[in-house]
Amino acid sequence: MESILVKGLSVSYGQKRVLSNIHLNMESGNIYGVIGPNGAGKSTLFKSILELLEPNAGEIKVLGKEIGKVRKKVAYVPQKDEVDWTFPATVMDIVMMGRYPHKKILQRINTEDKTIAEEALNDLEILHLANRQIGQLSGGQQQRVFIARALAQKAEIFFLDEPFVGVDMLTEEKIIFILKKLASQGKTLLVVHHDLATVHKYFNKVILLNQRLIAYGDTTTTFTEENIAACYGPQLTILHKTGLINK
Amino acid sequence: MDLLSILSEEWVIRGLIATSLVGIMCGVIGCFIVLRNMSLIGDALAHAILPGIYVAFIIVGYSTIGFFIGSVIAGLVTAFGITWIQHRVDTKNDAAIGIIFTAMFALGVIGISYLNNSEGVHLDLGDFLFGSTLGVSNEDIYLTLGVTIYTIISMILFYRYLFITTFQPTIAATMGISVKTMHYFLMLLLSFAIVAALRTVGLILVVAMLVTPPSTALLLSDKLKNVIIISGILGMCTSIIGFILAIIINAPPGPLMAVVATGIYLLTVVFAPGKGILAKAINKRIQRNKIEQEDILRQGIKYHKKEKLTAAMLIDRLGYNPKRLRRLLSDLKKEGLIVTSGNEVSLSIKGFEKAEELVRAHRLWESYQVNKMGLTEGQIHDEADRLEHWLSEEILDEVDGVLGFPANDPHGSPIPQKKHKPLNPLLKLRPSQSASISKTQINDFIESELWELGLMPNTSFTVTEIAADHVRIKQNQKSIDIPASLASQINVN
Repeated sequence: MESILVKGLSVSYGQKRVLSNIHLNMESGNIYGVIGPNGAGKSTLFKSILELLEPNAGEIKVLGKEIGKVRKKVAYVPQKDEVDWTFPATVMDIVMMGRYPHKKILQRINTEDKTIAEEALNDLEILHLANRQIGQLSGGQQQRVFIARALAQKAEIFFLDEPFVGVDMLTEEKIIFILKKLASQGKTLLVVHHDLATVHKYFNKVILLNQRLIAYGDTTTTFTEENIAACYGPQLTILHKTGLINK
Repeated sequence: MDLLSILSEEWVIRGLIATSLVGIMCGVIGCFIVLRNMSLIGDALAHAILPGIYVAFIIVGYSTIGFFIGSVIAGLVTAFGITWIQHRVDTKNDAAIGIIFTAMFALGVIGISYLNNSEGVHLDLGDFLFGSTLGVSNEDIYLTLGVTIYTIISMILFYRYLFITTFQPTIAATMGISVKTMHYFLMLLLSFAIVAALRTVGLILVVAMLVTPPSTALLLSDKLKNVIIISGILGMCTSIIGFILAIIINAPPGPLMAVVATGIYLLTVVFAPGKGILAKAINKRIQRNKIEQEDILRQGIKYHKKEKLTAAMLIDRLGYNPKRLRRLLSDLKKEGLIVTSGNEVSLSIKGFEKAEELVRAHRLWESYQVNKMGLTEGQIHDEADRLEHWLSEEILDEVDGVLGFPANDPHGSPIPQKKHKPLNPLLKLRPSQSASISKTQINDFIESELWELGLMPNTSFTVTEIAADHVRIKQNQKSIDIPASLASQINVN
């Protein structure tokens, strides 16, 4: 099923062109790895789809509609460093935010919401931390909290911006396990990712991006040496070190 | 006149009611101002309402409602103006605030000074700037009460939106919650609070009421709801105390409230449980004590049932001074962790169990460093020595699992295995503490052993001694020795 449709998306910050003429057609039930060098416009792509910024040109449909009509069904996990960890909020407070889009102004949080939040915490194995202040968690636990919030939102589409930065191996495995489960339930997942070595293992689809769309499609046929080289260009030396390109 | 009779005067009671409402309102709204790093905006809005008063006076004369409406409009114009400059002009954010509010304030001062030149008009600029104990009318009280109730109700209704737009505006936006609307809504509430504070606190120092009680509350709680409630209460206390002091020393109340607020803040900085300087120092001391005690236990297990361990050997090996060592040993003894005879120190059952946990932590961490982090045997000991005091049982179990429950550490020494422990073990008690035998024991064998010793479920007892091979308890004046292997498995209430 068609999940996200991007037609001719272009974005610039002032004079600087960040994304130019991007066309994408993403389908549900897949995990998309969004790959590209720094400044390739990966986060910008997310923000454009989520309408957090205004594109210069292009049309975007989410689940066949304008994003404004389906916000409930879209969950976003931002980069960890954008968060104020001293904020007086507990793990439960944060996960409960996932229920906010389902509530009208006068509706209170009820036991059903609590059960959903607790289930989400349980899926991430952090239910015992529910009353902890968020600053008193390890990096991995912090990331689990935000994934749990996305789960509690019961969304159809998940945007994750570098979810594996600064987390431990166990958490990384746990998160990828949950993402795969969500994909098997027909959800769509988009993950900005940096570690090229794990791309084949984690994502069944990739989007290779460097201001323009280099390639997208099945990981096995798209994540090839030629495409990676075309995407990273001058930064290729890094790739030699990772052993992904041997020349 | 004595204080009590002054406090029962009508104008004082009016002032106290108005000022406590203002304190609550500022404390509550201030939480979001502080958490959004908008303290400067709070100060700016307060200064900027002055021209609103001037204009209102020209139009409707001296009127509470007039001043209120004029001030709120001036406040919102300022908020819009600042935001406009910040978004449309290449001027730094805080500079934009400075430019707008100083201009507004200046216009207000000029206008009011000019008005005072005309005949029959007396608007005291000083009262607006620093507040006054006099001059709170019934009208003021009704208005303040209305605005306070409005603020509290909207805080309850919009709590979720204020919370999420303050914590993560981006996420709020993706959920379709308008960050801009919440921003201006908060600005509106802020203007209300400032106008209400005009009479008693004054414009210059209202920022103290907006910023100081919330900052104090943030030191006292980690939950936003509690922070807001504490801050409201602190705001109320601050304004009442400040107001009374102002009457006593015959000074404007604004400065006294600011001083009281800061006084409470400083006391909290020192004495707050958890985040206070004192609590941190005490905690550090407790941790140091704990580490030193645990190091003694680790020595104890090395010598357990081998040669005698003496105080002199401990001084030699751990480098503590004799006085400190005596103190540590006496603490350990009180906890029932060690047994001493003359100069000799040995572990009790309880101490042995504790020491084994430390050995487990040390050896598991060494294994983890070698197997999972790729360090060599020579690099791992010091790190494990440090971390053995900090690794929680939960983490250790996880490490144990990740390593596949190894039997030996990288040096080949056996890693003590995790024992199946009762939920509320007898060994957690100290000598002279009382408890009762639990109805549920970890297995039938323990229950029958207890029965043989004459220890029935729910009978209470007192621990008298924890030795190396037994625990002695007293039940109904009768002493019973429980052997070590049994003692470590008993569950108590």
